[in-house]
Amino acid sequence: MITTTRADDAAIDARRLVMSFGSFHALDGLDLSVRRGEILGLVGPNGAGKTTFIRVVAGLLRPSGGQIHVLGGRPGVQVATRIGYMPQAPALYDDLPVVDNLVFFARLFGLSREQARRRAEEIVDIVALGPKARTLVRDLSGGMRQLASLGCSMVHDPKLLLLDEPTVGIDPVLRLDLWQHFADLNADGTTIVLTTHVIPEAERCDRIAMIGSGRVIALGTGDELRERAGRQNLDEAYIALRDAGRREGER
Amino acid sequence: MSWSRVTAIAGRIVRQFRHDRRTVALIIVVPLAVMALIGYLVGDSGKEPLPVAVVNLDEGGTSPVGAVNLGDAFVRSLRDQDSIEVRAFETGPGAEEAVRDGEVAGAIELPSDLSARLAAGEGVELTVAVTGTNPSLTGPVVDAVQTALRETATSIPGGEGAASGGVTIRTVSLEGVPGLTTIDYYAPVLVAVFTFFFTFLLTSVSFLRERASGTLDRLMASPVSRLDVELGYLLGFLGFAMLQTLIVLGYATFVLHVEIAGPLWLVLLVLVLLVIGSVNLGIPLSFYARNELQVVQFIPLVLLPQIFLGGLVWPVETLWTPLRWLSQAFPLTHATAILRDVMLAGAGLADVWPRLVALVAFDLATVALGVVVLRRQRA
Repeated sequence: MITTTRADDAAIDARRLVMSFGSFHALDGLDLSVRRGEILGLVGPNGAGKTTFIRVVAGLLRPSGGQIHVLGGRPGVQVATRIGYMPQAPALYDDLPVVDNLVFFARLFGLSREQARRRAEEIVDIVALGPKARTLVRDLSGGMRQLASLGCSMVHDPKLLLLDEPTVGIDPVLRLDLWQHFADLNADGTTIVLTTHVIPEAERCDRIAMIGSGRVIALGTGDELRERAGRQNLDEAYIALRDAGRREGER
Repeated sequence: MSWSRVTAIAGRIVRQFRHDRRTVALIIVVPLAVMALIGYLVGDSGKEPLPVAVVNLDEGGTSPVGAVNLGDAFVRSLRDQDSIEVRAFETGPGAEEAVRDGEVAGAIELPSDLSARLAAGEGVELTVAVTGTNPSLTGPVVDAVQTALRETATSIPGGEGAASGGVTIRTVSLEGVPGLTTIDYYAPVLVAVFTFFFTFLLTSVSFLRERASGTLDRLMASPVSRLDVELGYLLGFLGFAMLQTLIVLGYATFVLHVEIAGPLWLVLLVLVLLVIGSVNLGIPLSFYARNELQVVQFIPLVLLPQIFLGGLVWPVETLWTPLRWLSQAFPLTHATAILRDVMLAGAGLADVWPRLVALVAFDLATVALGVVVLRRQRA
């Protein structure tokens, strides 16, 4: 018997999702259901379609085909209030202090000036940028920018957090801190979808979706995927599952 | 010096252009478009004649070679010129009325004793009435008169008196306030052009940065509406743009002593409307630029057609009809026309409101264009 999750139950429900740019299919019939309250890691090589998927969920790209539900609705302005999006490059206003960036994005999400200011102060503490709160973004190090960018994406307390390569260019110590932040947010009930091409890092996620050529190759916990592939580490499991999928496709 | 490194740098620049087709296209298209426009404007072909009122009262005279009517010869010569279209009027006041109504670019009155006085070797003063607010209209009319005088002097036996020296041309300004100087005539154009140019530059580069830095993605992933973005940009830049505008206007008024004959609030209203259109135009255009270089390349494309075709230098009235229609879509056409009327002739709201409506229409159109273009940034 096939049980289908209703779109409302899932944080993200994508069916046969296609995103074409000319003749290139960045997403090529992607099926993926993200449960509410989980941390899901999208892993795969560059160009696999991870960022495209995130941008479709964030409402920045209109899919060429298939269906997508996000928090029970179509991506767009209505659900945008409950989504936090952290783009790949730390998209911040370089000429503004960290705290002004936070206040600005908080107000775009409907917080009043006063609420936004209070929330910004909370966020700088959460992402450990307290001492740098009044520093211009252009004077921050790369890692600190990444933290400020994360802060901007969670300033409105989103139910679903989309993080595109959040740990790229971050030193190992800061990376552990970041994962701690993700765990804390998740403990508070935030669903997190993040992309990474550092596959072992994805072990920290509840589930991993292996993406290749615009589709989900495999979905499961780290242990499940290793077991299914019969490999000791996730990198090798990825390659094994990808090749198995190709052989199946050829048959 | 290392020749291999020099060639490496030079080669890299050339290769980069190969992958930036739009920049290369602009490198080729912009000068071609500009030169084609200039070629058309200074050339003789493809232009509509400028209507000019002529009142010929000359009763003829007797020269050493017999009876002559230099007035008729002068009018014939005017009619032969392609650049103007002669409209005969019976009386001087009627012709001047036509100038005031904008039906003709100027009115030429030939006195009844023109031939007689010239035949007698006396000097004659020829009156050319113009609005006096638009130098682009005065020039061609005076040129045509001078050409006609020259031809009359050389082609008609006994008409030698019409040659330079015999006839002095007196231009009478019907609408401009007295005592206008060259800087007064060009001030409306300069104020309008700089207002538009500075503002356009400010917003188009800023918006390009918003897009390139990725903050626009963040904006568009939030519940902000496209109109919010448009209006937010407008409001944010309005103050800075108006500051620049007031500096230009203030310098013109206080340092260059430019005349503002009409109401100052009307001048400011025109400039605010111009700034609004310019801010809003910067947003959609920056979408078609991939980098700052391309924004700068857009400047001549946005600015020069308006300067060339908008009646700032050459008269709109003589343009090929489709180009004249096109010029009505340009904000600078209307802004300069209003500023000329208000600053030089003391016109009021009642005189210029149709052009104000045109400016408002342009502003609304650019907001709509921006909203449409922003749609491409969001699913």
